[in-house]
Amino acid sequence: MLRMLTYGNRTGWLVLAVLFLLILLPLAAVIIQVLLPGVFFGKLVMGDISLLLDVFRRPLWLASLKNSVLLGTGTTIIATIIGGAIAIVRARWSFPTAKLLDMAVWLLIITPSFILAQGWVMFASADGLAARWLGWTWLHSLIFQPAGLIAVMTLSKFPLAYLTVYTALEWKVDRLGEAARLSGATPWTVWRTVQAPLLLPAFCSGAMLVFMDTVGDFGLPASIAAVFRFPTLPYSVYSALYTSPIRFDMAGALSFYLVLLIALAMAVQLYAMRKSRFDFLTSRATRSVAKRPAKGTYVFVLGNIALLLIVIGIPLGSNFLMSVSETASGAGGFTLRHYRELFTGDGTLLSGLLHSLEIAAAAAVLGLIVGFLIAYVLTYSQFKWRKAIDVISLVSLAVPGIVLGIGYIFIWNQSWLEHIGLLLYGTPWILILASVAGAIPVITRIIVGAMAKVPAQLLSAAQMQGAPFTQRVTTILVPLVKGALLSAALAAFGASVFDLAIASILYPPNFMTLPVVINKAFEDLNFGYAAAATLTGGGLVVLIMAVLELLFRPKKKRVRSSAYESHT
Amino acid sequence: MLLNRPGSKKWMTFAVMNALVLTTVACGSKEEAANNNAASAESTSPSAASTAPTNTASASEQPAAAPANQGEPLVVYLNDFDEIIKPMFEEATGYKLELVTGNGAELASRIEAEKGNPHWDVVWMDSMPTIDQMGKQDQLLADWTPKDIDNLTDFAKQFVPASHAYFPTGAHAASVIIYNTKAIDANSAPKTWKDLADPKFKGAVGMADPAVAAPAYPFVSWFFGAQGMDAGKQYFESLIKNGVHVYPKNPNVAKALTGGEIKVAALQESNAYTLKNSGEPVEIVWPQEGAPASVRVAAIQKNTKHADAAKAFVEFLLDPKTQQALIDQGEESYFEPSAKDVQPKKDRAADAKLVAAEAGWAGEHEGEIKQWFADQAVK
Repeated sequence: MLRMLTYGNRTGWLVLAVLFLLILLPLAAVIIQVLLPGVFFGKLVMGDISLLLDVFRRPLWLASLKNSVLLGTGTTIIATIIGGAIAIVRARWSFPTAKLLDMAVWLLIITPSFILAQGWVMFASADGLAARWLGWTWLHSLIFQPAGLIAVMTLSKFPLAYLTVYTALEWKVDRLGEAARLSGATPWTVWRTVQAPLLLPAFCSGAMLVFMDTVGDFGLPASIAAVFRFPTLPYSVYSALYTSPIRFDMAGALSFYLVLLIALAMAVQLYAMRKSRFDFLTSRATRSVAKRPAKGTYVFVLGNIALLLIVIGIPLGSNFLMSVSETASGAGGFTLRHYRELFTGDGTLLSGLLHSLEIAAAAAVLGLIVGFLIAYVLTYSQFKWRKAIDVISLVSLAVPGIVLGIGYIFIWNQSWLEHIGLLLYGTPWILILASVAGAIPVITRIIVGAMAKVPAQLLSAAQMQGAPFTQRVTTILVPLVKGALLSAALAAFGASVFDLAIASILYPPNFMTLPVVINKAFEDLNFGYAAAATLTGGGLVVLIMAVLELLFRPKKKRVRSSAYESHT
Repeated sequence: MLLNRPGSKKWMTFAVMNALVLTTVACGSKEEAANNNAASAESTSPSAASTAPTNTASASEQPAAAPANQGEPLVVYLNDFDEIIKPMFEEATGYKLELVTGNGAELASRIEAEKGNPHWDVVWMDSMPTIDQMGKQDQLLADWTPKDIDNLTDFAKQFVPASHAYFPTGAHAASVIIYNTKAIDANSAPKTWKDLADPKFKGAVGMADPAVAAPAYPFVSWFFGAQGMDAGKQYFESLIKNGVHVYPKNPNVAKALTGGEIKVAALQESNAYTLKNSGEPVEIVWPQEGAPASVRVAAIQKNTKHADAAKAFVEFLLDPKTQQALIDQGEESYFEPSAKDVQPKKDRAADAKLVAAEAGWAGEHEGEIKQWFADQAVK
């Protein structure tokens, strides 16, 4: 037992060091700017700490803080309920078109929020598709107000809650429910008193992910802001960083409040989950299999299709229409010109796409390794800094990519690093590191959700038999959480491909990435080209993910519960 | 032994494959970089080469290939013309070029973050106030005079600072007036900036947010600089009272105009002409008071290791032939050249009158004016 503890500690320190380097240090660098503005340029000057209080004095900052809290809370509540509910339905019943739902969820997770938002704007703005084609002129005022923004945000972020809950439903212990049923409980009571409480960690993780992704999201509020003014904290951070005179100290002060929001949310979660144990997966666990509903299949199908039309059809459909429209206003007929342009010309798109795919693949692999170790330490070790690891592993979700990006420059552009060959700024490696940092929260949450159900006894038992760490991990833990590992890697891969914020500040000379190319097209008014590039790039990513999914997703029939019963 | 063997084997395959991917990626990036370098060395775009100044007066003085730091290319941070400048310059001088493209704010942010260890040799962008401030903070190479300096137009000469820290390569209207001809006829269209506050355009005018969009600051700063802070605030308050729509960036303004959300806009010149040329029903008005200019300037980093190439690049940009090529082939080709004997785009208004706030003043008051706008917006 002692050996296992020390092993956990060693892994714990390793993970802590990696997180410190990837996330905490760059973030600290940006916040240190508030206190010592010149410290990274070789000057020691005291900063103006009263800047931290300016958030309550400056109208724009105060509005940003309030808006972020409102948007974050509203979206979290609704998206968690909706995402969780859909996940439960999907895990319980199989029906035609259910696979489409899975695909839609992934699409939403990997599609950058600025693309989704752009789609919603094209659909719902005063002259948008809804008004022109369907005559829905009322939609504009419905969407472009705080409640409408929460709705749009919910429709984009619910997949995070869905995925966490759905992964948690992969294994189940029927005996608990059966015991309750034998004691006379109705199915509803069983769900309420047995199943739902066991799902609590998954719901909480999902809610946390939604909350952080929402308050940290820059793209969606920024795109919507083109129509409706709704400054949020990331937006104001962006303004401070990307408006001359460049104010790193202001960005640091505002980022501080973002981190504070996350800390508060985590405190709430910890309070809700204290004292509970969730490692309920025992030898009697079975992989849950969705059943065909006895009747009313068509209700599921229709409901599913309606959902897909709204969450995918509107944002991506609008982008598609834009990509085949001759002019930005959608007038002038249809054309394939924008798609042709992708493959003619100087080939920036193609090289950008390749660069992005390479970086995303590397980030997914590195992120998976780091994320697995983090989840292992969080779930099984007694490492005393576990809580710190938990917090840091989530921080990068909330901190806007541009803030981390600036922090990366401060840290990885110190001239002395050149002498030891570690001047990573200006090389593709810095993009990989930053992408790993960005992917860690999602990877970790997905794996932790799955590991939470695998009791430590399974591992201890193997250790008693003399199985070393690697064997315990590869023969017990990994097979049990394989589905989650794949989900995590794919999520990280998909999200990294389109990470605009980090790429736009860190990309090396002559090393264009896909989001930078797309963003440039947007800025140059080439909406059609941008939409075509987005859909082509996105389509390729989805294809790669689908192939990986087919190759590596655990086959449901091969793994039988009897296998466990006879061996354990 | 325990549990499902097939699964774990597959996991191993996955891990091995991942490791392979990782190594290929690492190699890929290196090879890529090497290829890029090779490509940049050989790059000769025929169309650009044919019009590029193949023989400038300085060509004989300049070495055909970079003598010092031969392996290292000149790194230029720029916000436009990235698609054509590289082959043109490499063909003309033999120096190698690497570009970092971004909008003005992104580049300024990058430069600021790199302050401790700059990676750029030349910055070339249309944010003169920002670059002027960089000069005052001693980040730029000063007191060097490019050979073509006397060939600058009188309009351009006023922007050359006494320190010679940067040089104008052209200027474009940060905003012209543009209106949707479907909504407004030529007679009732606004002719002056004051007209935008006219009640008949209530709720129908749009502009870019100076707190966010780079070209919007040169636009608004002229009102504050030329008329004084109070008059500037008064003017924009009158616009706000008249229900002006403020969009984050110029493309958003353009979209609102063609979409019918607004009827009139203050829009950056190239955006305006692009709309018109793409067949949108819009008309451009150059206001009588003049259109506030955004001046594109080039500056050299103070401690650059590639001073010869950097100087060659700046001189290349001031060369009339280069500017003519930018106008003929560039994407942001609507601008007033800074060199004499260069013809602007034919469809660019002949009476295009540009005005500009003094760079030093605009740079010093940038934070204050932008904050005023940002706070106005949420009131």
